[in-house]
Amino acid sequence: MGRYIRKRLATAVLTVFLSIILNFLLIRLAPGDPISYITGQDFPSPQLRAELTEKYGFDRPLIVQFGVYLRSLLAGDLGQSIAGNRPVTDIISERIGPTLLLALTSAVAALLVGTSLGVYSARRPGSKFDTAMNGVSYVFDSMPPFWLGMMLSLIFASWFKLLPTSGMVDLRAGYTGFAHVLDVLRHLILPAATVVLVTFPYFFRVARTSVIQAMSDDYVVTFRAAGMKENRIFYKYVFRNAMLPTITAFGLTLAYVVAGVAIVEIVFSWPGTGSLMMNAIMQRDYPLLMGLYLVISISVAITMIVLDLVYALADPRIRYH
Amino acid sequence: MPILEVRNVNVTFSTAGANPKRVAAVRGVSLMVDEQDSVGIVGESGSGKSTLALAILRMLPRRTAQVEGEIRFDGIDLLALPEERMAAEIRWKRLSVVFQKSMNSLSPVHKIGAQMGDIYRIHEPTVSRADVKRRMIELLEMVNLPARVYNQYPHELSGGMMQRVSIAMSLMHHPRLLIMDEATTALDVITQGQILDEIMELERTLRTTRIMITHDMSVVAYSCKKVAVMYAGCLVEFGDVRTVLADPQHPYTRGLLATIPSLTGEKKLVRGIPGSIPDLGQPIRGCVFAPRCAHARDICREQAPPAVDPSAGRTAACHFAGAGGGEHDR
Amino acid sequence: MEATAKIKRTPARGLRKLLRDALAVGQLRVGVAFLILLILVAVFAPLIATHDPFALDNDMLLPPSAEHWLGTDGLGRDVFSMVVHGARTSLVIGVVAAVIAGIIGTLLGGIAGFYRGGLDRFLTETNNMFLMIPTFFLVLLIVAFFGSSIVNVILVLGLTGWVGNALLMRSQAVSLRERTFVKSAIAVGESRARILLKHIIPNGIYPIIANTTMNISAAILMESSLSFLGLGDPNIVSWGQIISHGRSYLTSGWWISASAGLAIVITVFTFYLIGDGLNRLFNPKLQTTR
Repeated sequence: MGRYIRKRLATAVLTVFLSIILNFLLIRLAPGDPISYITGQDFPSPQLRAELTEKYGFDRPLIVQFGVYLRSLLAGDLGQSIAGNRPVTDIISERIGPTLLLALTSAVAALLVGTSLGVYSARRPGSKFDTAMNGVSYVFDSMPPFWLGMMLSLIFASWFKLLPTSGMVDLRAGYTGFAHVLDVLRHLILPAATVVLVTFPYFFRVARTSVIQAMSDDYVVTFRAAGMKENRIFYKYVFRNAMLPTITAFGLTLAYVVAGVAIVEIVFSWPGTGSLMMNAIMQRDYPLLMGLYLVISISVAITMIVLDLVYALADPRIRYH
Repeated sequence: MPILEVRNVNVTFSTAGANPKRVAAVRGVSLMVDEQDSVGIVGESGSGKSTLALAILRMLPRRTAQVEGEIRFDGIDLLALPEERMAAEIRWKRLSVVFQKSMNSLSPVHKIGAQMGDIYRIHEPTVSRADVKRRMIELLEMVNLPARVYNQYPHELSGGMMQRVSIAMSLMHHPRLLIMDEATTALDVITQGQILDEIMELERTLRTTRIMITHDMSVVAYSCKKVAVMYAGCLVEFGDVRTVLADPQHPYTRGLLATIPSLTGEKKLVRGIPGSIPDLGQPIRGCVFAPRCAHARDICREQAPPAVDPSAGRTAACHFAGAGGGEHDR
Repeated sequence: MEATAKIKRTPARGLRKLLRDALAVGQLRVGVAFLILLILVAVFAPLIATHDPFALDNDMLLPPSAEHWLGTDGLGRDVFSMVVHGARTSLVIGVVAAVIAGIIGTLLGGIAGFYRGGLDRFLTETNNMFLMIPTFFLVLLIVAFFGSSIVNVILVLGLTGWVGNALLMRSQAVSLRERTFVKSAIAVGESRARILLKHIIPNGIYPIIANTTMNISAAILMESSLSFLGLGDPNIVSWGQIISHGRSYLTSGWWISASAGLAIVITVFTFYLIGDGLNRLFNPKLQTTR
């Protein structure tokens, strides 16, 4: 297991490093003047230009520039947001909470919903439920998340007036304490539902295929011959074997959910890093964009490592070899 | 009384759908196994030998497989037995099985000992945990495995060791009859030899009767007393191993033996048997081996030969059995 | 041991059998039917559309009617015509991007699997890394920096989507290189490159084809997200763009976003069906129903 984790860690470190390099190169490779990307001005004043050239080392060799860049990263400096005129790190840290809330609840919910449906479906392969569920999962898979969010908002918020259309809290009511929690939850339902609906099909397919595969494994034949009850065979043995791919799937989903959540945030004006990103794009706030990308890359890499660790612990073939 | 009597057993598979296709995998097979007989059932792929074994164990899928005939185990009519009684009283307790695929015969994410104990407790629910563990370790030692295997995972063992675990599990309730379905096929020759030796020893000490299913005649020659040769679902020859090997009566058996190169003795040309097994989905007229038989006559194509019946002195299903057809192949 | 009669195999016979098997798969029948419909709509868009999709008008936010089948948007444009023209954009971007990803992936994966060694390790490592990268953000970033022309979008999608294909092709190459016909080709002295192109890739391409179909779906979805965010090519009609415009009129003109979105769902679903059908065709063992 140690070797496995070391390998995965190496991949993660490499990935993050690559993201850093990419960030570094992007403003220097993109058409135009890097300084205008940083300042947002097409014709920065000579004084500003001199200041930034000194700070980022634009007149120095690339390697030195990279060193400067790395050092500033390690100091926690992701640059200055053009639009907000504040350090990028400040802005991001304000908005990351709501994103984590939405992303994690949705991912876990999608995992639970998709996997249960997949397991249930796999135990009755070819049945009406199975065929129907397969179709349903593909339909939701085909929906753009932002569009589904809009439609859900239209139906449940505008037409049926059941749920709020946007935001995370009712700003006028100013709830505190438990009422505040409830308010947040009320606002969470539609955006979370959107993400869950477009994400659960993947878990459904993974669980279904995995269970069907595991049911045809040889040990099932052995246990049946020995007289073990079907339920015990399934819940004690098949299930544990079949759940391993789901762990991997969860890790892979996290990289995707971060992107899907961003767009849904925009649709529902959820005050997270997603809508932050939208504004950054509109305003061409490149420092903010790049800072966001870096933070997201690192979080994704870390999450995947954690999940790899969980997988390694769950599968004795990796744990003890 | 023979421990196992198979009388005129047919197994037919039907595919689902609008036009069901019926495949006759086992046709009119009859044989008898006496106590402590170690019988080897030999045949190529598609001969029906595994299907026959699964039919005896009543492990064929009920929806697609239809079993006719009579199978008596220690006098009990197995085909008439309700499934609950089969599972509770017969399978694994008195009639047990070892399958071929050893590496996956246990769940890879659970420990071996725990699984063995789980299986044991199906038929012995009242035994204390400590006792179960003790008995499982005894079982492991019985097949020459160290006690530490109890706490290991399947992937940590070699193929031969896993097969020994499978064998140990099948013997845990000291069954009267053990069916080994290609149990040594996946092993290298050396391990295979070791395991065969151990099996033969266990047979003696536990007084178990063994039925060995294999495509490898040398395994049968080494470890069995009697041999049954199957072809395309039919039993074509049955008798004492030495007798059959020395003087095979059926052309198919002769062909099988001719394919084994000899390590000693005269250098013979190793020849295969030309042709392939017939389509089991079609009814067969005459002798099932006729299309491939070098000595087939008209009667072979029109009339099925009389079935093998050792009590009546018939050991081969051939119109010309015992008529000295052997000289053609030497 | 057994001699089997040699079946004469002609290319025409093989193709006919393939078509017959393909048509037997339900998903493929439905999927291909829809696909033909989509292609026809895309190709004949100017003829099918009732109005000029760019024409502004005074009849704004009209609900669906006989004159405007899907109504009009906030600037008076006919929604139906926009949706029909959008089909071209989506199909072109989706197919070209996926094909680029397919070609790159097949070549790299084939080379890695066939030659093994350093390139193989490099490829596997790259793949692991790509799995850890949120590709969408990468695409976003690149388009934000380098511009949002249709060519850029296609290139970026193609260059980020090759990894899955490479993995598939690699594992195919690894198992194919052990096959006797490949070994005999090597022994005979055929150049490695020729073996790769003549034997390995054609025999191992099947899962890539199914995967590429799925990639088309992914590319269409990604492109729609990009144009929704305003990062698509502003000069062409795109479904994501329509939805984005329709967002401002979600309550007063819901048909705008709804129609464009449904168009996306139907198109993507069609490609999923085909991909699923192809998987079943090439891998009958996976069939657990019918």
